[in-house]
Order: sequence, then C-alpha cells, then structure tokens
Amino acid sequence: MAMPEIRLENLIKRYGTVEVLHGIDLTMQSDEFTVLVGPSGCGKSTTLRMIAGLETVSEGEIFIDDKPISHLDPKERDLAMVFQDYALYPHMDVARNISFALRLQKRPKAEIREKVREVAGIVGLTELLHRKPGELSGGQRQRVAMARALAKDSSIFLFDEPLSNLDAKLRGQMRAELALMSQRVKKNMIYVTHDQVEAMTLADRIVVMHLGRIQQEGTPEELFKNPDNKFVAGFLGSPPMNFLDAELVEEDGQLFACGDAFKIKLPESRKSLVASNKNQITLGIRPSDLNYDHEARDENAFDLKVIVSEYIGAQSVLLCTCGNINVTVELKSETPIALGETLRFAVRPEGLHLFDRTTEKAL
Amino acid sequence: MLRGLPDNIRRKVESMNSERQNPAFYALLVVLIFMSVGPIYLMLVNSFKLDVDIIGGTSGLLFLPTIQNYETALCDILWYEPEHLDFCSLKFGGAFINSIIIALISTALTLIIGCMAAYALVRFRFFGRDTVSLTTLMVRMVPPAVLLVPVFGLWNNEFCIDKETLVGAWIRDMFGGRGDVCLAGTHSGIILIYIAMNLPFVIWILQSFIVQVPRSLEEAARVDGAGPFQVFFKIVLPLIKPGLAAAAIFTFRIAWNEYLLASALSDRNTKTVPILIVNNMSEFNVEWGVIMATGMLLAIPPIIFTLFASRQIITGMTAGAVKG
Repeated sequence: MAMPEIRLENLIKRYGTVEVLHGIDLTMQSDEFTVLVGPSGCGKSTTLRMIAGLETVSEGEIFIDDKPISHLDPKERDLAMVFQDYALYPHMDVARNISFALRLQKRPKAEIREKVREVAGIVGLTELLHRKPGELSGGQRQRVAMARALAKDSSIFLFDEPLSNLDAKLRGQMRAELALMSQRVKKNMIYVTHDQVEAMTLADRIVVMHLGRIQQEGTPEELFKNPDNKFVAGFLGSPPMNFLDAELVEEDGQLFACGDAFKIKLPESRKSLVASNKNQITLGIRPSDLNYDHEARDENAFDLKVIVSEYIGAQSVLLCTCGNINVTVELKSETPIALGETLRFAVRPEGLHLFDRTTEKAL
Repeated sequence: MLRGLPDNIRRKVESMNSERQNPAFYALLVVLIFMSVGPIYLMLVNSFKLDVDIIGGTSGLLFLPTIQNYETALCDILWYEPEHLDFCSLKFGGAFINSIIIALISTALTLIIGCMAAYALVRFRFFGRDTVSLTTLMVRMVPPAVLLVPVFGLWNNEFCIDKETLVGAWIRDMFGGRGDVCLAGTHSGIILIYIAMNLPFVIWILQSFIVQVPRSLEEAARVDGAGPFQVFFKIVLPLIKPGLAAAAIFTFRIAWNEYLLASALSDRNTKTVPILIVNNMSEFNVEWGVIMATGMLLAIPPIIFTLFASRQIITGMTAGAVKG
C-alpha cells in the first residue's frame, strides 16, 4: 500500500494580527522522509502541528491524497506523532502507553497484545513493558514514544524534535536507529528539527525554513551543493560557510572577485554575471573547500592568518583572519600549522558560491 | 555500626546524633503530642464515665467504665432496649445517616463540578476567564454567617414548589407534609449550600494541579484518537488524583463539621450530628457523658475518609510527573 501524498497549499498561520507562516506550499511524496529544518521560531513546528491538527489553519489547505483535511480533528487524520518531551502518559505502564490508541479504537484484546509485543520487539522494549515511564531512562522513554506511534499503524508519521532532549551520545545512537527504522517501516514521515546534522542524515528531502517561509527544498546533497540563498548556505554544513564581501572586477577577459585582502579568479561559466550589472556580491566558501597549499597561485588562493586551532580529532578547525574578516578552515589534523602564521589556502572553483549582497539570492 | 567508618565521618555522624538528642527538642515534641492527643484522650475517657464521675472530678483515674453513654447515643439503632432508658429521645442513627448523605453527596458533586470548572478555566480561552477565576476565590472570602440570613429566607420562601401544582402535590403525596415544598429542611437544601461554599476553594486548588499537566500529554492523546471527554477522563483526571483527594478531604471535613448553616436549614428529620450534639444541652442539664460519646462516634467517619483519601495522595505522588 502506498502511503499518501501530503500537499500544503498556501498555508498561512496567524496569531491575532501576527502572521507567523506566510503561505507554505509543499508537496511530500508518498513514503518520503521529509525534514523541516530551521532556526527556532521559523514556523517549522507550527507547520507540523497544523498537519497534525493541533493548530488551526488560518488560511490555505492541507490535502492528504487530494482530500482536504484542515477542518478534521487530529483523530480523524490517520497520523501518529512523536513529541519533543515524549508526552508519555505517566499513570500508565509502557504496554498501556503503547496500546492507548488501540484501546481507544476498541480493538480485540488479543490483537492489541500481539501488536504491543510486535512493536516492543522492533524498538527493543520487550523487557520493560510493565514499567512506568517514570522508571525509564531518557533513551527508553524515547523508544516508548516511538513504539506508541508505530503501534497506531497510521500512514503518516510526525516527529517534533524527538531527539533534542537526549544527550549527545544517545542522540547519535537514536538517530542511527531512526534511520534504520525509516528504511524498514515505509511510511510518509515528517520530521521537525533545528539540528542540521539530523536533517542531513535522515532526510530524503530537506525543507529549510526561515521567518515563516520555505527557503529551499530538495535532497540533502542538492541543498548542500547548490544553496538557493545565503541563509540556506549558512545554515547547512558544520562548521558553517564563510561569507566574504567582494566586488566583481573584469580584467583581461577574466572575472575576479576582489575583497580587502584577496582576489579570486571566478570560473568561465560565471562571465554572464558581468552583464547583469551586479558588482556587489558575497562570496561563500565552505571551510572544507579550503586546502592548505603553499604553492597555490595568487588567483585561486587566500592568505589567512591562523588565530586559533580547535583540535577535534582527525580534523582540526582553524579560526583565521583574512584582512579583518574571520574565516574558518577545516583540515586534517596532521597538517603542520603554527598559530600566528600566515598561510596560503587554495580554493576549488566548484567551492565558490556567489550571493547577491542585497537580496542574498544565489547567483 | 559506625566502627567501619573513617574517624572524621564517625565523629560527624555522632555529633549529628547528639544534636538530635537535645532534651528541649523532646520536651517540645511531648508538649505538641499532649496538645493534640490530650483532648481526644479526655473525650475518650469521659465517654466511658457516668455524669456523676465526670462532674465529681475526684475519680479522675479510678472509675468503673460503662458503655451506658454509647447506649444512650445509639438507642435508636440498637437491637435491644437499654435498661437505663425509659424513652429514646436522641436519634443519633438518623442524624448520622443524614450527615453521611449530606457530606458524601456534597463532596462528590463539588468534586465533579469543581474539576470540570477548573479544567475549563485553565485550558480554554473564553471571554471573562480571568474575571471568573478571580471572583471564584473572592466568593470564598464571604463568611458563612453572612450567607445565613439571605439563604434561610430564599430556601424558605423563594425556592418552593406550590403545593397546588402538579409536581408539588405529587411530592406532598409521596413524602407527606402540609405546606409548600421548599428547599429548607431538605437534604438538597443543605447539600446545595455546602457545594456553593466549597466549590471556590476546590476549583482554586484543582486549577493549580491541572496547570501542571503538560499540554503535550493532551495533544498526544488527541493524536492517539481521544475525543475531548476521553482526554479529560483518561488523561487529566488520573493525573490530578492527588489534587482530587486533597480537595475531597477538605470538602468532606467541612461538610461533616459544619454547624451554623445546618442548624438553620435542617429540620427535625434532616439534622446532622453536630446539631444533634448541641441539642443535647438543655438549660437544666448538660449530659457530658453522652456528648463525649457522640463526639467519639462523630470523629470516626472523617478519620476513615481521610485515611482512604490520603492513600490516593501518596500513590499519586509516587506515580507522578514525568519530566523530559
């Protein structure tokens, strides 16, 4: 059975006179793992809660397989949800938590017992079925929340920042388990997070939101390689992208991006920019696209003064300055670097992202 | 026991023990215990004495225990006729049943109305919510004595069903009587005023419990397929059980002990135990022994009720909140 397609059409949310979502248009294909990602207050949770039916829709419509659902109660929408604080019922043991939805549907007892056993097996809770949530650790509670959603057998799965209450190690582990589960259980999943690592690792498709608008949607790779605007470029990737103000200059038929302390040759394909008459640009370079190379030529290299070196194992992150702009560089830890030195870093032509300085759109 | 411990820790533990052994502390404890247990002890002892022994004073310690007082108090429900009584004037059994009916029903109704009102005040946004929330508590400030006269008037003259009407005549036929059917002198009349009296406090106390129920629990239940009433009865109510128990103890105790309003609003058939006890005093004679005996009997139901309800408080607290 193919899980449904969810379509949001011009979805608007207002609290009083304040508009927090300004018209969201989005289609989530069946069986797709969609991640809504963005900084806090960007409207991603509100969007999810509107799909769940926990928030009213001010304008626009939500369609599940072309059926409008925005007027329906949550229970009529055939979806399951995992909450940030797990929202386990404290007065019920694990088994009763998992079976709550089934018991409300008045399913036969034997069927419920069978389902609870099956789902508990999937998430590894079989031993703990008779504990109360208060007696479980954070990770176990997370599993119960997951199991409760799984037991419902609904076609749509909603996750509202489910891992943000766990410590770093457990989060990594649960993330991997979640990825595994999403492969095994083919459902339409919508996942909200502010953590771009979660978004990149889990998503079939990422939707980056900011200030109540969708900034860009696409596969993780698309978004990482070809960000539509400066916000998406800066939000995805860790450490974040470096932004340097520059001016476009044409010399001897070659296009250069000139800044205070650098002059970088742009690839041939960028020549059309001259015609568009936009000289003030922002140059974006990911820390991993800068390579230590003391023999690099002037026209595709930066001279950076190393201020701080953060050793994080195989990789080190260098905080450098280029003129009076801060630039971060990521490189292998064995590279011999001394603090205070000025070094030459080469940049690959594909690693250069150009943004309009006023509209912040990618050029 | 302390031998295995290092020296410095042992010294610390010993000094903590010696602090606890301060004699003043024990003296204070004894005084407190005496203050709380003393009156009950006096009542218990005197309930087994004859009036002569009580008033005589000399036989404070040496007396022949008798259950005569209890026989007098319970004469209308005993299966035999006590020898010392010519006539059973004290209807303790009837009053006891009245008290039970009034206290239990008013407690139950107060809790049912109270938890729903509190839930609405906490969770729903409606016009005038804050005003309602505030005035509920202000109503609590009105002393019952102020209510007495107007309520007495209303119950006797306004809230009546004319005996000429169909319903009035039917009630008269069923239960007997002469005048119009009024709230005054009925169980309902007393129950109603007790509910009105206790509701503000119950709403107020339950509000603070409902606020603590995380909203996401209710949302999870809604997504799981629960309607508004299922959310309330299956999720919210079990979680505020300790609050309900506390409110129940409070309401039951007030309804059980209340004297002023009951004395004005009850009649011979609906009077409660506190009224009965006071009626035992006449200008000629105060039957101390019987008063003590009825007092002891009066104390039993609230004790049982409190023990029962407080167990809910404790289990509620241990099963309680899950933090993230």
